[in-house]
Amino acid sequence: MKRGDLKSEITNLRFCLSPSVRRPSARACVVAAWLAVVVALAACEREKRETVEAAPGARTEAISLSDLRPGGGSQPGETKNPDEGRAYDISQGKQFFSYYNCAGCHFNGGGGIGPPLMDDKWIYGSDPANIYETIVEGRPNGMPSFRGKITDAQVWQLVGYVRSMSGQLPKDVSPTRSDHMNARKSEQTTEKEQPKKTTLPETK
Amino acid sequence: MARENEKEREEAKQDDAVALPVEGERLRELEETWKSPRGVWKFLTDTNHKVIAMRYVVTAFVFFLLAGLEAAVMRLQLARPESRILTPDLYDQFFTMHGTTMMFLFAVPIMEAMGLYFVPMMIGTRNVAFPRMNAFGYYTYLIGGLLLYIGFFLHVGPDAGWFAYVPLSGPQFSPGKRIDIWAQMITFTEIAALVGAVEIIVTVFKQRAPGMTLNRLPLFVWAQLVTSFMIIFSMPAVMMASGMLAMDRLVDTHFFNPAEGGDALLYQHLFWFFGHPEVYIIFIPALGFVSSIVATFTRRPVFGYLAMVLSLIATAFIGFGLWVHHMFATPLPQLGQSFFTGASMMIAIPSGVQIFCWIATMWRGKLRLKTPMVFVLGFFAIFVLGGLSGIILASVPLDWQVHDTYFVVAHFHYVLIGGAVFPLFGAMHYWYPKWTGRMISERLGMLTFWLLFVGFNLVFFPMHQLGLKGMPRRVYTYLPETGWGSLNMIASVGAALMALGVVTFLANVWASRRAGVLAGANPWYADTLEWATESPAPDYNFANIPTVEGRSALWEMKDDTPIVVGLSTECREVLCTHIMDAEPDHRYELPGPSIFPVLTALAVGVAFTAGIFTPWAFPVSAVLSGASLYGWFWSNRNSKNEPVKERRARTDKADRPSPRPAARTVEGEA
Repeated sequence: MKRGDLKSEITNLRFCLSPSVRRPSARACVVAAWLAVVVALAACEREKRETVEAAPGARTEAISLSDLRPGGGSQPGETKNPDEGRAYDISQGKQFFSYYNCAGCHFNGGGGIGPPLMDDKWIYGSDPANIYETIVEGRPNGMPSFRGKITDAQVWQLVGYVRSMSGQLPKDVSPTRSDHMNARKSEQTTEKEQPKKTTLPETK
Repeated sequence: MARENEKEREEAKQDDAVALPVEGERLRELEETWKSPRGVWKFLTDTNHKVIAMRYVVTAFVFFLLAGLEAAVMRLQLARPESRILTPDLYDQFFTMHGTTMMFLFAVPIMEAMGLYFVPMMIGTRNVAFPRMNAFGYYTYLIGGLLLYIGFFLHVGPDAGWFAYVPLSGPQFSPGKRIDIWAQMITFTEIAALVGAVEIIVTVFKQRAPGMTLNRLPLFVWAQLVTSFMIIFSMPAVMMASGMLAMDRLVDTHFFNPAEGGDALLYQHLFWFFGHPEVYIIFIPALGFVSSIVATFTRRPVFGYLAMVLSLIATAFIGFGLWVHHMFATPLPQLGQSFFTGASMMIAIPSGVQIFCWIATMWRGKLRLKTPMVFVLGFFAIFVLGGLSGIILASVPLDWQVHDTYFVVAHFHYVLIGGAVFPLFGAMHYWYPKWTGRMISERLGMLTFWLLFVGFNLVFFPMHQLGLKGMPRRVYTYLPETGWGSLNMIASVGAALMALGVVTFLANVWASRRAGVLAGANPWYADTLEWATESPAPDYNFANIPTVEGRSALWEMKDDTPIVVGLSTECREVLCTHIMDAEPDHRYELPGPSIFPVLTALAVGVAFTAGIFTPWAFPVSAVLSGASLYGWFWSNRNSKNEPVKERRARTDKADRPSPRPAARTVEGEA
């Protein structure tokens, strides 16, 4: 491009930014900038990967086992899993699911010795807090307690993964296929089940 | 040529009072016809090859600076053991972004851009063969690059290395969208590369000035031609690899899952079937720069033209038979490994032939040691060193010793920076006057060279030793007990010098653009046709399309060398010639500015970007692309329909006798 051309480009640019036009475009710029910041923050959070974790034993205080409050206090809000928006943590949960031999009883979610995890039936509730308690405290009839064995962060990753098995998580967070024989459809393609409360199965 | 034109015009002024207004009017018409559109929005419609190529060069250079910054941060991190400037996760993203940017967003595009800028000028034509497709290529490249960097700034930068091997990059071990963005960006930029390759091939084959037979093609153009063919044969492989990777990740296919009948090694084969030729796609255009610079600064044609051309072609052929030497550490049959060792050694022959041809050219010649030439000499030193460590890596047992260590890092930076970046800096100093009309400062140029040369060797020479001592690639830090600290510190100091060199270059470009000495048409007294026109060249490149009577077009141009007349000045008409002998064949009208290439690129962009999140992006984008393609072709037909009659009515004006009575003329046949 010739030098003169560049100059004329600049003049044209100036012309376009004349006062009558400038105001809305400046506002638009601000809006766009805010949007970009929001998207950026959301994205930063989505792909965050923690590499340093607290030791086993430290635990999240927000969990309560009972809905009842002394003196009729208000219900605590539903406990959110900090990891449910992050694909990385869910995939970590998937790894721990096999490392800690969850699959030994629950298999790939279809259930065997333990109850299935990919269906809509939940004995102790499907909320993240319920699953957290199930893992940390254990449950009657065979579910062991992992308290003090694995870190709090890993429990939450497992919680996220367990919920992804019945399609409770957004599609872009749930894991896709693994690099081995895939016994089931991937968590990402699993249809979302509507969780139903159910009682203990009859012992045989 | 321009000088001659001026002389001619002056003569015409004295001799023939009528000829001057005719010539003046013709030039005015040419300028009007080929003028780049003005204005902010029209900016996007431009199809002039020089404008598009310059945007490529600037964009690619910006990516070069970004990738350089990433390298600088990594060097800062590695300068001392156990530093914590970058987290391991961020370090992974940094080295991946550095490699990906350098290979896909800087090296290939800028090499093609040099071709898109200078090939039409060197072969004496006014634009590339498909100007709108050219613009489309640029915008796909730009969107691909932006996609990658926006991702990076949003903490979604890819983190599996620039070749993103499965299973690490596969769905199980790379959750999230990081690798999806990488894969889509690859597909994008490869589309741009393919477009550029098609442009260059067709332009070289069909639009050469009369008399420029294949046997007289400048070595720069040969290099670009050979590279373009390599691109066409190699890029589809990586597009397939990245496409299959994206499908594995997004729709649960099993291309690279061995447990379900897929093959993880297949990815490496596909990638390196592209990846090794890629190295030559970067390197061969650089050989073209070197040939141009050596010829100009020794003032003699490059020795052994035939050997040079055959070496280029041989390099391209053999370059496709080497890819497995990147995979020696995988379980391949011994026979295959031996074969690829042999092939890797063989590539030294054509490379050696070329080096010796350049040395023979310089031998007893009177070298003018200007900045471009000094960069070429630097290239010889560094590239030959890189070739020597290449021999080590080509042999299996030695390769196993240093596989994935810093030795490999040292080797490929020696061949890539030595083989491509030094010639490129030489080329940018060399052609700067043609781009801007002003000379670039010699003093700052020399400073740039020495900073880069010393800095480069400080960074990468110690890495050989680091590699032999066992420092692996892609580690975010190391322990003090390893004893790698001092060598790493030297490397980091060198990196600072290199950064200073690049800053000097930028300062030089900026300062010389304002205050450089005016260059004139041919400041270096070079032999190729791009120097036959003013600096910077007008939008139509040449007032008269020249003809060529030898390999060194300008040096062999005589007073009565014919020019081409009979091309319309009313529309963007170029002369098409025969492939072999470049005899005039027919005239061909090129389409003018259009907004639709940008729109089509955007539509394709929607498909690849939104396709990461939902498969619905593809049908939606198919409709959008269809609509914009319809606009593209429809608007073309429309613009052609209207002015055609007018053009016919006024064509004979251009057929008036040339204002150069002494010149013989070649008529373009209608």
